[in-house]
Amino acid sequence: MFRTVTIFVFIATFVCIGICCLLSPCSKECRWGPVSVLRRLIHVFTLLLLQQKLSPIGVLKKLIYLLAMLCFIVLAITGFYQRLILDEPISGYLIMIHATFAPIFAICLAALAVMWASRNRFKKSDCPLVQRILRSVTRLRVPIEASGCNITFVAQKITFWIIIFLALPLILSIIMSMFTLFGTTGQEFLLATHRWTALAFAVAAIVHIYLTIRTQMKQYYSN
Amino acid sequence: MKSKIIAALVLSQLLFTYPVLAGDAKLPGDESDGSRAIPIHLIPLYAENEAGEKGEQINPDAEFPMPFSTRWSCSSIDCHSYETVSKGWHFNSVEPNVPAGRIGQPWIYFDPKLGLQVPLSYRPWPGTFRPEEIGLSAFQFTRIFGRHMPGGGLGEVDSNDFDEIARQYVSGKLEVNCFACHNAHYGQDMGGLGGYAVQLSRENFRWAATASCEFASVTGSAAKMLETYDPFMPDPDEKDAPRVTYQKERFNENNEVLLQIVREVPNERCYYCHSNLYYSHSEETEKWTSDEDIHLKAGLKCVDCHRNGVEHNIVRGYAEEACISRNPLAATSSCEECHLPDNEDNPKAGRFGAPIPTHPGIPPIHFEKLTCTACHSGPWPADRTVLTKTSRAHRLGTPNVNKAEEMLPHIISPVFAKEGDIVAECSGRLAASDGGKIAPHKVIWPAYWGKLEDNGVKPIELAIVEKVISGVFTDIETPATGDWPVITKEMIATALKALAKAVDGKAVYVAGGRLYSLDDSNQLVEQADHPAAAPYMWPIAHDVRPAAQSLGVRYCEDCHSPDAPFFFGSVTIDTPIVSEREFTKKMVEFQDISPFYAWAFAFSFVFRPWLKVIALACAVVIAAVLLLYALRLLGCVAKVFAERE
Repeated sequence: MFRTVTIFVFIATFVCIGICCLLSPCSKECRWGPVSVLRRLIHVFTLLLLQQKLSPIGVLKKLIYLLAMLCFIVLAITGFYQRLILDEPISGYLIMIHATFAPIFAICLAALAVMWASRNRFKKSDCPLVQRILRSVTRLRVPIEASGCNITFVAQKITFWIIIFLALPLILSIIMSMFTLFGTTGQEFLLATHRWTALAFAVAAIVHIYLTIRTQMKQYYSN
Repeated sequence: MKSKIIAALVLSQLLFTYPVLAGDAKLPGDESDGSRAIPIHLIPLYAENEAGEKGEQINPDAEFPMPFSTRWSCSSIDCHSYETVSKGWHFNSVEPNVPAGRIGQPWIYFDPKLGLQVPLSYRPWPGTFRPEEIGLSAFQFTRIFGRHMPGGGLGEVDSNDFDEIARQYVSGKLEVNCFACHNAHYGQDMGGLGGYAVQLSRENFRWAATASCEFASVTGSAAKMLETYDPFMPDPDEKDAPRVTYQKERFNENNEVLLQIVREVPNERCYYCHSNLYYSHSEETEKWTSDEDIHLKAGLKCVDCHRNGVEHNIVRGYAEEACISRNPLAATSSCEECHLPDNEDNPKAGRFGAPIPTHPGIPPIHFEKLTCTACHSGPWPADRTVLTKTSRAHRLGTPNVNKAEEMLPHIISPVFAKEGDIVAECSGRLAASDGGKIAPHKVIWPAYWGKLEDNGVKPIELAIVEKVISGVFTDIETPATGDWPVITKEMIATALKALAKAVDGKAVYVAGGRLYSLDDSNQLVEQADHPAAAPYMWPIAHDVRPAAQSLGVRYCEDCHSPDAPFFFGSVTIDTPIVSEREFTKKMVEFQDISPFYAWAFAFSFVFRPWLKVIALACAVVIAAVLLLYALRLLGCVAKVFAERE
């Protein structure tokens, strides 16, 4: 069942992202000609580079973000490939690579949580709807933003917190299985937890990366 | 009309009673009424006459009493069906239609002076040879190996050889020896000075079962008799003729004997054929220095698990057995079935108080890759495999056994290897079940002279080998330990040259995992890892160690470390050739795993504690961040409800 659900979820995720790209492009000037597409791809690639305007801490943050992305890609491929393609549990060199990148990814996640949490905290100004609710149910004089809700930015924050939240069961489920605390039933439960959490984590991470790219592209086009 | 009705009635009666008349109905002794009490066996004993039919009742006062026949005694008053019993697993190795099931221990023919160590079996187990392939007839095989056979099957096969027919008449047939298992009397003599094994060596097949009983003794030897000797008309002057003497006090006024026959076979009876001795590198090894199987120490008997009904299709106890065996308990008598709960309507786990293991900390992948025996059975793996003796291979429990550790044949164990395929007949269709799991095995490296053929190597018959090779290996001296003598490659080359003249085709020698042959210029050529030279391996099931002595019970590094014997232990390559005796193979080479991968994976466990620390620390940091912002969110919510900014 996991294999079927995973394939379906990944396809649905990528289809939704594709539809979002088509129906709601980053900018009104977006074109779909080959040159425009190539230009956008190059621009996406440049997002990986370190901007000169970044401070040393900014450089560190971006490097950790990029390292986390790399680790995520490796872990996702090694973790899902055998199960999805071969319908076998992960084994062999894949599990060794998976276990090698896992602690690095855990460190990156912890660092990302500390470094990016403040930037991703929710504010009143994120969503005018929340402002209107607060204004109507309380006596607080909450100013309502005229610019409207930045859905992309809010969704980016939501996916960030989902990722951080899911990181806990993702890490703990596999680490707890390495101690002699759980018998076979517990081990199978921990493994299932890790598997399903990884699926949710992967979807959240894919969406978060897409939204991050989209936000950067929007900023570029608006400038 | 009336006569037609009567005819129809008679015919229908015959049709209904035919199955009974034909013997399908169970005899009274073969079908239990449910009582668990032991039936009294105060029974007359009968001999077999020269026509192979039921003979006279045994009278201990007769001048030359005959040995009793188990066939005619045990079924004398229609108690037990000998025909049904004789189709059981212990007796049916020569039956062509019996599924072979999981491979088992072979019979091993060895001759150090000829450089022979050949695994033999009548069952089609891959890697063994049928005895007739090396020129052993059923009679010869029975004479050599009958000491640890319960009779029947092969022992009752009629010989086709004219000379052997006469000898078989003198020796008699080796019937199923019910007493070998079911006689609980302490005087049951299988390996004593006048017991079963000795009688077999003297070709006293007809007398063997009688000699094994506590109330009879047998002297003389059929082997010393001429082919013209008539055992049914014994010559009183023939001093070496086989003679039976019964203890008269054991017979009552009706010449009946009270036998201590039990349904549940005592462990000691099983041990006669199924004992193992695993040698240790560091300690002196004797029987008392090692523990028995934990199941026996927990109070079980061998037959609690290895059960059968009158058909004697004994449960062997491996997981796939239910697909092959018609024994209704085969499905519930494997390790998993007793120890692990199932989801069936009627739970069957927990028999005999079997504890349910929790296996804390063991990832479930282990149960897909390993058998239960890999962690729980056999000797604890050491840096190097050890020599092992078994009853059937080394004549344990019989007189004048060479007790030296190096006594041939050389059985090596434990070797952790992938189980071989089990060809099973499931629901009427052939299915190849890929064993696939790693299990501990006993191993023998075959050594034999053969001819190269398209589909492999065919062994050369013993008669030719003895004639040719003994003429070449003239100065060979077998050490007192029974180990291989000094055989060199030059001697092999010389022997191959001599054999080439005696056989059609290319003569080869297989030993130590290598195939030796002569090239066109008569130089010796070796071929390593030739399929015909592959070791013969059969799984170890006993002795099961206690849970506290199972692999991995302390830490993962029991198996997953760069020097763990499970993967990196050395497997001795046994060979008669003196210059090749120091070679070994790594255990991982038998497991279908890349040695580098096994090493790298094991090496990664060095960093496993660091992985745990780092991951836990990161989890703590992430949890702290979540907690911080969750508390902030809570603070915001509290302020909203307080209608504060």
